[in-house]
Amino acid sequence: MTLLVNGTKLAAAGTILDTLLAAGIDLPHLCKDDNLAAIGACRTCLVEADGRIVAACATPAANVKIVETESARARKLRAGVLQLTLAMQTDATPTTSGGPLAGSLAETAARAGVGDTPFEQVSGQAEDASNPFFSFHEAACILCGRCVAACQSLQHISAIGLAGRGSRTVVTPGAGDSFRGSVCTSCGSCVAACPTTALRPKSGGAA
Amino acid sequence: MNRRTESTCPYCGVGCGIILNVDESDSIRWVDDQPGNLSSDGMLCVKGRFGTTFVNHADRLTTPLIRRAGELHQATWDEALELIAERFLAFRGSFGSFASAKATNEDAFVQQKFVRLVMGTNNIDHCTRLCHSPSVEAMLQQFGSGATSNSYSDYEAAACIVLVGCDPGSNHPVIASRMRRAIDGRGTKLIVVNPRRIDMCDRATIFLQPRPGTDVALFTGMARAILDARLENRAFVQSRTEGFAEWLAALDRVTVQECAEICGVAAGELSAAALLYARPPALDATEPGSCMVWGMGVTQHTNGTANAHSLLNLALLTGQLGRPGSGVSPLRGQNNVQGCGDAGCVPDSLPGYQKYSNQALAPFEELWGGNLPSTEGMKATDMIESIAQGDIRAMYIVGENPLLSEPNLHHATELIRSLDFLVVQDLFLHETAQLADVVLPACSFAEKDGTFTNSERRVQRVRRAISPVGESRPDWEIVSDLARRMAPAVGVDARQFSYAGSSEVFREMARLTPFLRGLSHERLDREGGIQWPCPTPDHLGTPFLYGESFPRGLGKFVPVRQSAAAEELPDTEYPLVMNTGRLLYHWHGGTITRRVAGLMESAGALPIATHPDDAASAGIVDGDTVVLFSRRGRVSGVAVVTDSVRPGSVFVPFVKLGESAANFLTNNVYDGVSRIPEYKVCAVRVEKRRERRRDDHGDAPRGH
Repeated sequence: MTLLVNGTKLAAAGTILDTLLAAGIDLPHLCKDDNLAAIGACRTCLVEADGRIVAACATPAANVKIVETESARARKLRAGVLQLTLAMQTDATPTTSGGPLAGSLAETAARAGVGDTPFEQVSGQAEDASNPFFSFHEAACILCGRCVAACQSLQHISAIGLAGRGSRTVVTPGAGDSFRGSVCTSCGSCVAACPTTALRPKSGGAA
Repeated sequence: MNRRTESTCPYCGVGCGIILNVDESDSIRWVDDQPGNLSSDGMLCVKGRFGTTFVNHADRLTTPLIRRAGELHQATWDEALELIAERFLAFRGSFGSFASAKATNEDAFVQQKFVRLVMGTNNIDHCTRLCHSPSVEAMLQQFGSGATSNSYSDYEAAACIVLVGCDPGSNHPVIASRMRRAIDGRGTKLIVVNPRRIDMCDRATIFLQPRPGTDVALFTGMARAILDARLENRAFVQSRTEGFAEWLAALDRVTVQECAEICGVAAGELSAAALLYARPPALDATEPGSCMVWGMGVTQHTNGTANAHSLLNLALLTGQLGRPGSGVSPLRGQNNVQGCGDAGCVPDSLPGYQKYSNQALAPFEELWGGNLPSTEGMKATDMIESIAQGDIRAMYIVGENPLLSEPNLHHATELIRSLDFLVVQDLFLHETAQLADVVLPACSFAEKDGTFTNSERRVQRVRRAISPVGESRPDWEIVSDLARRMAPAVGVDARQFSYAGSSEVFREMARLTPFLRGLSHERLDREGGIQWPCPTPDHLGTPFLYGESFPRGLGKFVPVRQSAAAEELPDTEYPLVMNTGRLLYHWHGGTITRRVAGLMESAGALPIATHPDDAASAGIVDGDTVVLFSRRGRVSGVAVVTDSVRPGSVFVPFVKLGESAANFLTNNVYDGVSRIPEYKVCAVRVEKRRERRRDDHGDAPRGH
């Protein structure tokens, strides 16, 4: 099974995103962790496939024939998604104080030519520094769900989840609970997966 | 900009792949997981992720120390090694050495070579004596090999997992994650056998909570239930085993009911567990298998080897090994406890578990150019006890802290103190090092190259990520330096210890060890970790053992009987049974983890788990400071009142927190075959600590 990506024939392998990454083609994918299946939450991997806009991480490559990652429409939509994503943050902490991937959002935006966001920046302000090894800062969280996937699907701990709806959604160990008071085992896989500074090692950053 | 170095986690036997991120100041800044590592599959636990800051701790030993006029003073390497070389020569014949299951295979190999070739003795051992020696003894006798038979991936391919006397959530967290993935995602059935309700019980189909020390009765009862239901694997028993008839005869009059009564579990539950293990329901098109997984709850008893035999008999009876999704797994505690044994740091065999036959000795003597001792040496626990008779007068202890890990610590301290000459080589000036005549500073895992072998027999690379702290040196280099100084006096060619690097050491070990012969540092660098046996350079390694045959030929049934549950059982003065174990946030005695601030913040006080009934009769509520007494000592801690322990028992992790360590209480009595101490059962009394009076001068530990 093959598909035509930006005019080049590629063997389909898993999702469109898997196929692109295996071929060394650069495409933003903020919520996809190396260790895990795609979440499909961040929409930063939008591409044009057979004329439709789809999330590359959530679309099986075998289902499509022609993929354009750099069409004007795909680029514009991805830039818009990144602007909206940047508007979810009100925190300007340097990414060097975050986990190993804390710079991912900023780097992805820069590569897509997205500077400041034109949208009003709005976020929750919850903080949780109860864990001895890391802290959580809602003001930097983009709700990509990678931390939750790492906790639930990688480590099978399920200490944290996404609670609430819409703009009130928050990563939390449970209403009124702290990381320290939860079943969290401090494995740090959430910190390792976070593409912003929402989860920060207390040692002063991984970078 | 960080430097990134791929290495292997220095904590438990799971052997997770790690990437050390080191900053300009040569400090470990962050530890990444390795998504492609076949043992850890991108996972880590708190100790691997956040627990390596001990490497840069201010307490690290930075120079050799020599005792002069009662005090330890800084010395040069030359002074220290010359002194040791001179003194050790006087103790050939009364010398013993402990190797470190935390150090590399290369460190272990050079140390056993030094002990055998230069010191002329087989008195070398390591902490396997304190953890899985009964499992190894039993497996060697019944199978001919003493290692975990399956891969971790088999837990995820199994239809049923039995966890006996282990708490992977605390001690092997990444294995626990893999098991949770199998249970939640695939529907794998879980059976937990433990006197304590561990976290994994939340996902268990059957939980058996037997009386401590009754494992033989439990597994005999399970065997009886399988035979009664005619669920034994007759084809396997007939074609792959021997000794079945004799074993069966010993079971003749045994009933499930009487076994269940000895264990204090319901007969129906015991039977259900047995049948589920023998014939788990199919989850998909593959043939359903069961994995038997066990820990110190089986082994750390005066009947430890019998316990292990009774458990292995079950695996033979049901044929639950030798194919994917099945197997027998002693979960190894330390990062390299498998490798330390493989490398020959055991008193009863050469590297590769080769017994002292002329045929086995020949290639060693030829390559090393000297005669080797051919009688079995003393086991670790016997070395310590033999100090009293003067049979051991000098010791060389590398990377081990027996004065936290031995039973009955007041007694062990007296013995170690009475040695004529003690050399300790380690990272920190721990309890044992403080009594040494010479202390040598060793490098941590982050400062040296080599290999660790994990619980699934996977040999993986350890790579130098930072410069040695202070004047510390890798263990194999220190031992080699010492050996070169002593070699001429004992007629050994000093060039036997002139290795250019750790890869040259590995090459020699692989040459002398048939099941490692296909491995080299270069190959591991190229291909990643490989599971032994790997006899040739083109062999891909072995994910599971015993597919076609056992190393001894046929698997052997060994009849065993339930003896007294333990040497010391509760009485009116000491009415409770103390069980010991571990905590997620600490590593064994705590020599390392007490030097990680976040881990101390996570668990800084010694928890003493007490059943609500026992707490009520002692007037104790949750959070009280309590004191535990045994005939050998006392410790204080914080009461955790919980029905996760059986009535009449307390659980205490053996980490030392404050001045309290459970091993001040444990009993220095040993299993006859393996010589493992009975850490899991002793009699204690718990009391609420009385309010301090003005004339009370504190509660410093008293000698008993």
